[in-house]
Amino acid sequence: MTEFVQALVLSLLVGGIYALVASGLTLIFGVMRVINIAHGAFLILGAFITYTVWDQLGLDPLVGVVITTPIVFALGWLIYRLLVRPIRHAPMSSTVLLTFGLALVTEGVMGLVWGNESTSIRPSYVDQSFHLGQVFLPKAQVYGGLLAVVVLGCLWLILTKTWLGRAIRAAAANPASAELVGIKVTSVAALVFGLGLAAAGAGGGITGVLYPFVPGSHYLWIARLLAIVVLGGLGSLEGAVLSALVFGVAETMTAVYISPAWATAVPYAIVFVVLLFRPQGLLGTRLRDDAVTA
Amino acid sequence: MSAAESAPEARRALDPIWLGRGIALVAGVLLVLYPMLSDNLYYQNMIILSLVFAIAASGLSIITGLAGYVSLSQGAFVGLGGYTVGVLATHHPDTNVWLWMPVAGVTAGLVALILGFVAMRASGPSFVIITVAFLFLVQVIAINWRSVSGGTEGLSLPIPTWDADIANWPFYYSLVGILALQLLLTWWIRRTKLGTGLVAIRDDETKAATLGINLPVEKMIAFIASSVLVGVGGGVYGYYLTFIDPRGMFNILLSVEAMLALLVGGKATLWGPVLGAFIVEPLNEYANNNLGGGNTRLLLFGGLLVLIVLFLPQGVLPAIESLLNWVRTRGRAGLVGARIGTGGSLASLTGRLSLVDRAAAVDPRPPLLEVKDLRKAFGGLKAVDGASLVVPEGSITGLIGPNGSGKTTLFNLIDDTIHADGGEIWLAGERIDRLSPWTRAHRGLGRTFQITRLFREMTVLENVVAAQRSFSWGQLGRIAVSGSEARAAEELLEYVGMRSFRDQKARALSFGQQKLVELAQVLMLDPKLILLDEPAGGINPVLIDRMSGMIRELNSYGKTFLIVEHNMPFVLGLCDPVHVLARGHTMASGTPDQIQKDPAVVDAYLGDDFVLEDEHERTVR
Repeated sequence: MTEFVQALVLSLLVGGIYALVASGLTLIFGVMRVINIAHGAFLILGAFITYTVWDQLGLDPLVGVVITTPIVFALGWLIYRLLVRPIRHAPMSSTVLLTFGLALVTEGVMGLVWGNESTSIRPSYVDQSFHLGQVFLPKAQVYGGLLAVVVLGCLWLILTKTWLGRAIRAAAANPASAELVGIKVTSVAALVFGLGLAAAGAGGGITGVLYPFVPGSHYLWIARLLAIVVLGGLGSLEGAVLSALVFGVAETMTAVYISPAWATAVPYAIVFVVLLFRPQGLLGTRLRDDAVTA
Repeated sequence: MSAAESAPEARRALDPIWLGRGIALVAGVLLVLYPMLSDNLYYQNMIILSLVFAIAASGLSIITGLAGYVSLSQGAFVGLGGYTVGVLATHHPDTNVWLWMPVAGVTAGLVALILGFVAMRASGPSFVIITVAFLFLVQVIAINWRSVSGGTEGLSLPIPTWDADIANWPFYYSLVGILALQLLLTWWIRRTKLGTGLVAIRDDETKAATLGINLPVEKMIAFIASSVLVGVGGGVYGYYLTFIDPRGMFNILLSVEAMLALLVGGKATLWGPVLGAFIVEPLNEYANNNLGGGNTRLLLFGGLLVLIVLFLPQGVLPAIESLLNWVRTRGRAGLVGARIGTGGSLASLTGRLSLVDRAAAVDPRPPLLEVKDLRKAFGGLKAVDGASLVVPEGSITGLIGPNGSGKTTLFNLIDDTIHADGGEIWLAGERIDRLSPWTRAHRGLGRTFQITRLFREMTVLENVVAAQRSFSWGQLGRIAVSGSEARAAEELLEYVGMRSFRDQKARALSFGQQKLVELAQVLMLDPKLILLDEPAGGINPVLIDRMSGMIRELNSYGKTFLIVEHNMPFVLGLCDPVHVLARGHTMASGTPDQIQKDPAVVDAYLGDDFVLEDEHERTVR
C-alpha cells in the first residue's frame, strides 16, 4: 500500500511536468495546425541550457529555469518567423517534415556542443527526500513537480486573462476574421510558437534535474508527448493536462508493477488504442469540416 | 511564333517524357553492368545501400506520393524484413537463406495490413503519429523479446558461402530485381483506377468518397503495396549486413532517409524516389566517412529535410520537368481563357443513356429518394431537425429555403459527407442511411458541391475518370488513363462543353468551368439521382441557361434531380415539386405555383414583394 501511494504521488508530480510540456505542444497545434515534432528536441535543449547555467553560473537549476525559458522562447519566436511562417499555408504534412528536420538538426547541434554522453544536473538536494510517514518523496521530484504546476498556471493565466490570450483564441478560431478586427495573426502565431517551445524548455530544465539525458532522448519525449496530446484530443489544453496525469500514472505503474523496460512501450500502445477506439481523443470534439472555409 | 517553329527537333528532344525514358534506360544498363566492369567494393557497397533506399522510397511513393499519407514507418518494414530473415536463418541454420526472402515480404505485408486497420481510421496528422509510434513500438519489442530477436545484442546471420570474387553479386542483382518489380508495381498502380482513386484521396478525401471511391480498401491496398517488396528488400539488406540489431534496423533515420529520397527526387513521380536515393545515400556515406558521422549525419538529414520542404517542395524531377515545359511552351497562349464548347448531344453517349418513354410512366410517380425525420445537431445548434421529403422518380425536385435553413447540411447527410444523428434515408426502395458514402454512390447517388470541389492537382480528364461506378477488385486494376474509361470521360466532357480543356489542371479553371467539370464527374457515376448544390450560383447568365438546358435533357433521359438553388426563376421554372426548408425542417412542399402562394413560405423566405415575372421565366426556358 505504501509502495502504491508513493508511486501514485510521484507519478502525479511527473504528470504535472508532462502537462506543462504537452500544453505547449497542443497550444501550437490548436492555433496553427502544426504538429511540432521538434518539441522533444527543444525540451532536451532546455535541459542542456539549464545544465550550462547550473554548471557555469552555479545557479540552482530550478531557479535557472528563469534564464532557460526566455532563451527557448526567443528561439521559438525566431524559428516561426524564419521557417514555419513561409509554409503556413502548405499541407500539414509539410510542417510535420519541417519540424522533424528541425528536431534532427537540434539533436545534431546538441551532440556537437554538449557531446553524446549521458548528462545529469545534480544540485545539492538531489539525493534528499521528504518523509511523510513511510512515504519517501525525493525533494527534486517535489520541487520540480510544483514548479511545473506554477509555470503551467502562469501559462493558463496568460491564455485566459490577458488580451494576448483572447487574441490567441481568436486567431485559432478564425485567422481571417481575427485579422479583420485588428489582430496581427502572424505576430500572435510567433508568440504562440515561442510560448509553446518555452513550455518545453522549462519542462526540460525540470526533467534535467530528475533524469540523465542525451541529445537522442528527444525521441522518447516526442513519442510520450504525442501520445499525451492524442489521448487528450489534439488542440485541447484541458485534454492535454488531464491525459498527462493519466499518462504519468500509467507509465509509473507499468514500471513499478510490470517492468521498467516495458514502460517505454506505454506511449506507443496508448496511441494505438486511443486512435482505434476514440480517434478524437478524450476531450477532443470532431470538428465540423463541411462548412465552407474558402 | 517563329521561336516555336525554328527548332522543332530540339523541342521534341526536350520532351520530358522521352528525355526521361532515355536517361532511365542508360542508367539502368549502367547499373546492371557496373559489378562486371569494376570490382571497387566501396562503390558496390554504396550502390547496394542506395538500392535498398530506392526500393523503400519507391514503395513509399505509393502511400505518400499518390495517396498523400506521410508515413515514417517505412524503415520499420526494412527492419521487419531483415529480422524475419535473421530470425528464421538463425533458427534453421541448414536452410538456404535466400528461401526466406519471400517470407520477409509476407511478414511486411501482414504487418502493414494490421497497422493499416489502426492507421487508416485516422486521417492526416494522426497517421504520421501512428507510423512513428509503430516504429518505436517494434523497436521496443525487438529489444525486449530476447528469446526471438536476441535483444540489444542483435543477431548474426550465416556468412555467405559463395565465391568471394562475386561476393556482392547476389545481393546486388537481387536488389536490382526487387527495385525493378517495385517500379513496375508503382507504375502500374499509377495508371489504374486505383491510382486515380489514391490521388483523389490525397486531394480531397471527403469528395473522393462521394465519387464512389472506397477509402479504407484503397488506402489499405496502397499501404500494403508500399511495404511488401520493401520487406523483401529489407531481408536482402539484413543478409548483406550479416549482423542486425534493433538500434540499427529500427533506426528512425532509415525512415527519414527513405522519406528524404522520395522528397528530393519528387514524391509524385515514378523515377524521382530512385534518383533521390542515389543522391541521398552517397551523401550519407560521405558524411559518415569524411565528416565524422553521428552528429554530422543528423545535421545533414535534418538540414536537407528543412531545405527541401522550404525551397523545393515538389522535388528535383518535377522542377526539371516544369523548366523544360516552360522552355517548350514559351510564348504560347494558355487555354484557360478559351470559350467553353457548345456541348455535344446526349445521343452521342451511345449505350450509356437511353430516352425514357414518359407516356408509360405511372402516375403518381414512385419515390426515388425518401428522407424521413432526418436530424443533425452541431453542438446545441440543430442544423437539420426532422426534415422529411420525397423526390419522385424522374422528377426535377427543388429544395429552397433561407440561408442557414439546412439545405446543404441536408445534402451532406444524404450522401454521408457528414453523418446524420438520426432518421432514415431510402433510395429506390433501399434504406441507405447506414451505408458508407461510396456505397451510396454505387447505389446511384451523385452530388455536386456548392463551392466546387474538384481534385485541384489532377487534369480535367483525370477528375472525371476518378469516379468509380461500383466496387470490384477487377475495376480497381482497370487502366484509367487510356482506353474505354478515358473515352467515356471524354464523351461526357464533350457533352458539358469542356473537352478542349481535358489536359488542364483543375485548379486553373474558372468557377463556372469547374461547375461543368463537376457535373461531368458526377455523370461518370451514371447515377439515378443527382443532387445539385446551387448549380446556377456564381456563374454567368449564358451558362445558367446551358445548365438548365442540360438538366432538362438529362432528365428526359431518365435522370432524377434534387436541386438546391437561390435563383428563384431558375428553380420555379425548372422544378416540380419544390420543397421549402426552414429551421432544419420541411415547412412546405408542392408545385411551384402552390409554393409561391403559400403565405408561410412568403413570410419565411420569399418576402412580400416577391413576384415571379414573365421575363424571368423566359430567361430560364
